[in-house]
Amino acid sequence: MISEAKVHKKISWGKIGSYAVLIILALLYLGPLFMLVNTSLKTMPSFMKDATGLATEFKLGNFVEAWNKASFPKYLINSVLYTVSATFIYIITAVFIAFPIARKYIKFSGVFLTLFVIALFLPPALIPQFQLILNIGLYNNPIGYIMLFIVNPIGIVILVNYIKTVPRELDEAAALDGCGYFRFVWSIVLPLIRPALATVVVMHSIGIWNEIIAPTIYLTNKDYYPITRGLIVFQGVYGSNWPLLAAAVLLLTLPMLVLFLVLQRYIVSGLTAGAVKG
Amino acid sequence: MYYQFGSKKTKWLPYLLLLPGLLFYFIISLGPSIATAFYSLTDATGIKGATVNWVGLANYREFLFMGRASADNLAALQRTLIFCFAVTLIQFTLGLFIALLVNQKLKGTNLFRTIYFMPVILGAVIQGLMWRLFLYPLGGPASKLLALFGLSSEFLGGQPSEAFAWVIFIQIWANMGTTMMIFIAGLQTIPSEMYEAATIDGASTWQVFRNITWPLLTPSVNTNLLLNIIGSLQAWQLFLVLVGYRNGTQVLGYLIYATGFGQTSGSTSSSFRQGYAAAASIILFLLVLVIGMSVQYILQRRERRILG
Repeated sequence: MISEAKVHKKISWGKIGSYAVLIILALLYLGPLFMLVNTSLKTMPSFMKDATGLATEFKLGNFVEAWNKASFPKYLINSVLYTVSATFIYIITAVFIAFPIARKYIKFSGVFLTLFVIALFLPPALIPQFQLILNIGLYNNPIGYIMLFIVNPIGIVILVNYIKTVPRELDEAAALDGCGYFRFVWSIVLPLIRPALATVVVMHSIGIWNEIIAPTIYLTNKDYYPITRGLIVFQGVYGSNWPLLAAAVLLLTLPMLVLFLVLQRYIVSGLTAGAVKG
Repeated sequence: MYYQFGSKKTKWLPYLLLLPGLLFYFIISLGPSIATAFYSLTDATGIKGATVNWVGLANYREFLFMGRASADNLAALQRTLIFCFAVTLIQFTLGLFIALLVNQKLKGTNLFRTIYFMPVILGAVIQGLMWRLFLYPLGGPASKLLALFGLSSEFLGGQPSEAFAWVIFIQIWANMGTTMMIFIAGLQTIPSEMYEAATIDGASTWQVFRNITWPLLTPSVNTNLLLNIIGSLQAWQLFLVLVGYRNGTQVLGYLIYATGFGQTSGSTSSSFRQGYAAAASIILFLLVLVIGMSVQYILQRRERRILG
């Protein structure tokens, strides 16, 4: 009895300590978010007077003003257009690369796979990529911008590994039934590898959506800006008006947070794919 | 197993369907990557159709050995190494520690995991702007907190070294969740029987960590170390959002961008020194290669020793 009680006490001290650390760290993560929400509900004078004081006005005017002043609808449409079209082209081409490599239906499939793996270690393609886009006349052009994002070697490696877990007997059965190659990949393989597809699609789209360097380099026309660049421009103009800026940032943060809660497991599986095996 | 779809005549079909993706990859990614080496030996600018001259190693000579500019470059190089070392060390240790905490049988660990992982999806712009507000020097939360201890700071607007330290902090804040998730995935592959056996033998928490968790975690330790090192050597987006191109804070990645594409979006393309920036890219690449390979070599020797 005595020893059991002792063990019990020891464990709960460990628990308390763990919770203390976890909660303090959580405050560090939620604090900036809370500050953002609080500031966005304030007026400029009350922010100047006391930046950290709790908002008492609860006015949504900042959101309306930010939405109207920042041309967010235009930037959002651009972001959606870039993200959806580049991800669509990428994922379709990627499946037709990954499937034959995983199945060894093409010669030198090992070499092909290595080609995609080494991409992770090569120097950044920044400068020659710019020269390429510039010289084919697609600088400051949405098509040129989308082109930059139709490639992602990590995604191919994830797909190859996943397709290897789909039983080969399916291929044989389908072939016996006279199913063609394209139809097999399109209507049988695609649905079967949905978890891996979801992971790759989510990872790839988030990358495009959050991209800030490429739009700064490649797009000079305001009409083409994606939302990240739009936010930077807005910050340049209204940088000192924190309540307004906070409302603008929050307008873009909230949908991302909702999406995050829905898609979290795909993002996590994308990050940890292959990580455990090393 | 052999390809058996349709008649023999359709054997070329997989090749044909693979071709578009492969071409994209060569043209947009692999080709340009390799071409960086060639551009580094030229005086290319950002003007369309301008003649590009071969200049040999002049860009490298200028980058490394010429006057004040090269002193700045070498300082940026040193800063990149400091950034990499600090970020890797803290993010790795903290990520491991937190992964161990949330991997316990405690209530609410899922919620904590989600909270720490949240910044990953927000991207550098939102992360950066959030922290600029939190670090608002005129009475923002961080400055109030410091005031409690009688301290004050200008944070990102203060001394370059101070701004630099804050970027390191925010970089870790933003990416610790990824490190933690990879460690959690690793922890979950360790069979619970091993822990039970150790508990029955009366092993202390430290002994269990030292003799079971740490060695069996080797694959995720390797992944995280390499990802952290390579990632932090190349990262500079947060510098762009948090401090801009400011003397005394630049890292190599930002320097490449600034020399190759002008420091502000308004500058004309003729001032883009792309050959020079390509040379800087190759220097950064060599840094990543040398450090990455040596760490990989050490990790593999360690892995063979531990896992046999």
